[in-house]
Amino acid sequence: MEQLTRRGFLKRSMLATAGTALIPQFLKAWEGPVNTGSDNVLVIIQLSGGNDGLNTVVPYRNDIYYKLRPQLGINSEKVLKVSDDLGFNPAWGSMQRLYDEGHLTVINNVGYPNPDRSHFRSMDIWQSASGSDEHITTGWIGRYLDAQCKGCGSHSALEIDDSLGLAMRGSEMKGLALLDPGKLFQATKQPFYKRLSEVDGDEPHIAYLYKTAAETASNAQYIYEKSSVSATATTFPNTELGKKLKTIAELIRSGISTKVYYASLSGFDTHVRQGMQQERLLSQYSEAVSALVSDLKQSGNLGRTLIMTFSEFGRRVTENASGGTDHGTANNLFLMGGSLRKPGFFNGAPDLSRLNEEDLVYQIDFRQIYGTLLNRWLQADDKAILGEQFPLMDFV
Amino acid sequence: MILPQAKVKHLLYRAGFGTGLQIDSWNESALWKKSNDDHLLNVVNKPQLDSDPREMKDKAKEVFEKSRQEIMKVNAAWIMQMSRQPDLRERMTFFWHNHFACRTLVPWFAQDLNNQMRMQALGSFSDLLTTVSKHPAMLQFLNNQQNRKDHPNENFAREVMELFTLGRGHYTEDDIKEAARAFTGWGFNPQGNFQFRPRQHDEGVKTFRGRTGNFQGDDIINMILEDPQTSIFITRKLGAFLVSDDGVSDSLVKEWSDDFYRSGYRIDRLVRNILNSDTFADPKNTGTRIKSPVELLVGILMQTDGKFEDDRSLVFIQRALGQVLFFPPNVSGWPPGKAWIDSSSLTFRLTLPRLLFSGDETDFRVRDEGDVNGLQNENAGRRRLHCNADWSLLANRFTKKRKEETLSVMEDFLLSRPLLPENRKWVAQITEKKTDDKELVKSGFIAMMSLPEYQMC
Repeated sequence: MEQLTRRGFLKRSMLATAGTALIPQFLKAWEGPVNTGSDNVLVIIQLSGGNDGLNTVVPYRNDIYYKLRPQLGINSEKVLKVSDDLGFNPAWGSMQRLYDEGHLTVINNVGYPNPDRSHFRSMDIWQSASGSDEHITTGWIGRYLDAQCKGCGSHSALEIDDSLGLAMRGSEMKGLALLDPGKLFQATKQPFYKRLSEVDGDEPHIAYLYKTAAETASNAQYIYEKSSVSATATTFPNTELGKKLKTIAELIRSGISTKVYYASLSGFDTHVRQGMQQERLLSQYSEAVSALVSDLKQSGNLGRTLIMTFSEFGRRVTENASGGTDHGTANNLFLMGGSLRKPGFFNGAPDLSRLNEEDLVYQIDFRQIYGTLLNRWLQADDKAILGEQFPLMDFV
Repeated sequence: MILPQAKVKHLLYRAGFGTGLQIDSWNESALWKKSNDDHLLNVVNKPQLDSDPREMKDKAKEVFEKSRQEIMKVNAAWIMQMSRQPDLRERMTFFWHNHFACRTLVPWFAQDLNNQMRMQALGSFSDLLTTVSKHPAMLQFLNNQQNRKDHPNENFAREVMELFTLGRGHYTEDDIKEAARAFTGWGFNPQGNFQFRPRQHDEGVKTFRGRTGNFQGDDIINMILEDPQTSIFITRKLGAFLVSDDGVSDSLVKEWSDDFYRSGYRIDRLVRNILNSDTFADPKNTGTRIKSPVELLVGILMQTDGKFEDDRSLVFIQRALGQVLFFPPNVSGWPPGKAWIDSSSLTFRLTLPRLLFSGDETDFRVRDEGDVNGLQNENAGRRRLHCNADWSLLANRFTKKRKEETLSVMEDFLLSRPLLPENRKWVAQITEKKTDDKELVKSGFIAMMSLPEYQMC
């Protein structure tokens, strides 16, 4: 019954927004900030493919772990020990430093009811913040923009990529995708594009295209101009994620009014020969994130920035026969920043003696974390955006 | 009302994928070709007996790689088939492909489900629903293989009602539970044929939507079809697809769906009613729909008779724009309309004609789904998406005495709505210095196809 109520609610709220007439000529208004008193920034890093949380945060005293992972289990001597029972993957030296400095919170056992083991579906669930038995065609950040950002620019939420993911799509508002500010600006300052952005459509549907073109050109220029005067001296690793996080660092430095940044790192689907592959990615992640944190600290922005990292699912506890792991369920989630209320481990390690069909059991619904980020960090109406009141947590 | 010629054009866009080069000799009866004229896709073979599709998941990477390539072959074959000429059957297959959204790792399943939809695209919805519900691709996708007597899986039952027939709010959670019990035992064998497994079937008494009995899966489907709500749900969705993304009025939905229901769910009848209606022909519904990525791509190919040098370009474009046939985002299909348009997809759409026909390169990076066995990124720097069109032939076809006339004929052919005056002026400027017919037609095509007007149908 509760499900039905929630579905009904979402349906109603979507209809309500769809009914809003297109506002012509509201152009030029979109450099205004999001309607919220706070200047907090949220950076989301998505690990695509299903990161193996158990080899990221290793239960190095747990016999079941070593029994179920005779090949893949990380030797306790190599584990970077951060608590009595948990330690980090050897590739996470820089993350260990963040942990020691109180800039990292690890939340264990995050998931959702009736987990789906398909990548695209589980990612769909995480990005839309839906239950596993419902289909929502907008993303949670997109709905945040819908609720909080009428009339402000698509630069309010930036995805550092060439295309825009579901998370960033609302029913009226959408975020903006750009791999780097220069590239998008180059594309939109062409005479062809510039000319289009000065044209109005003669009918509401086509007007939406002209409006989007105009917005893109204007936002691209705004972002480019802001970012071109805020180069950082911090050395970022020359990796895909390193470059993306450098772009984010420079944009945050620039004082741009962007509230949410989104970046992805892919390759975590380690069915075969997981060891080296995951370590390489975890090292790439750890180095890039620690560079971002130092840069934020140096520019005085660490206190107003929160970095959240998730993956669409964890992996099976038992290793497979190919030196890898298959798709699992609950996983750990990471928060980094200068305003963490509970640095270290937010909750206890996964209970390997109590598995559900060989999979970890979730304890915290990811939507509780989203709700907390929306409510306590972005000062937004989490209930309206998520369609349901999830219990809030006290990590920020 | 719009002019007869404009009416035909509108029909071609909505009931086909746009104007084709054979438009001059085209007549409306071509839309209603018999089903024995079907072009069934036939690029992959049925799996051999020894390769159990249910075990695909455990097999090696090479099997996945081969499957992926074969599904993309089916994808490319279908795109090329849709692009031949305006074809209502292909158009409706495309509608059902989205309505019964499904993903499968088995290329033959993908091809066969698509062919089943093609054969029944304009037939009886009852038959189509039954065929799709019993298809191995769908049973696998919606986990009905795992739906067993003492261990029910409700996914299949839920989606059949929520997305395929009744729509939200017309059943209860208990109905889902009871229907799932009735569907226990529905599965398929290694040969890819539907199989009912009596030992996994729950023989107990079920109560579904107020009726009680020892129901089987077929009984549930029949009871769902007996409810006129199914007719309303399908009519509303098809009406939106053919007429306007904003939907059609409740009174029209009622009128059309009553007839659809009374006809025993004849899809051809419903389509005819919609296409013959005044609402369909209303100018406010003409040229006001945003083309989906596949509609855009198919339209370009149809209007230029273009052929790609490399089929991988076809896949790349679908991925860049966010609609890859056979890879819907989830079982509810692709959201229509404005959902297609964002800053990056629009920018890519507007540069696409130059990428196809001017030799421009792109360094656009497509999204990675994270699945090592899924669509892989081949993001090795810059790429060309070269598409060959016979510009001499097109020049012969479109060149008129005066340049303005040439441009005006092209505009009428290429666009579902007139160019905005400032854009018409711009196209004239772009083509001003072109003295060669071929160059004029080519630059005119590229210019018009690069405009927002071209995104509309």
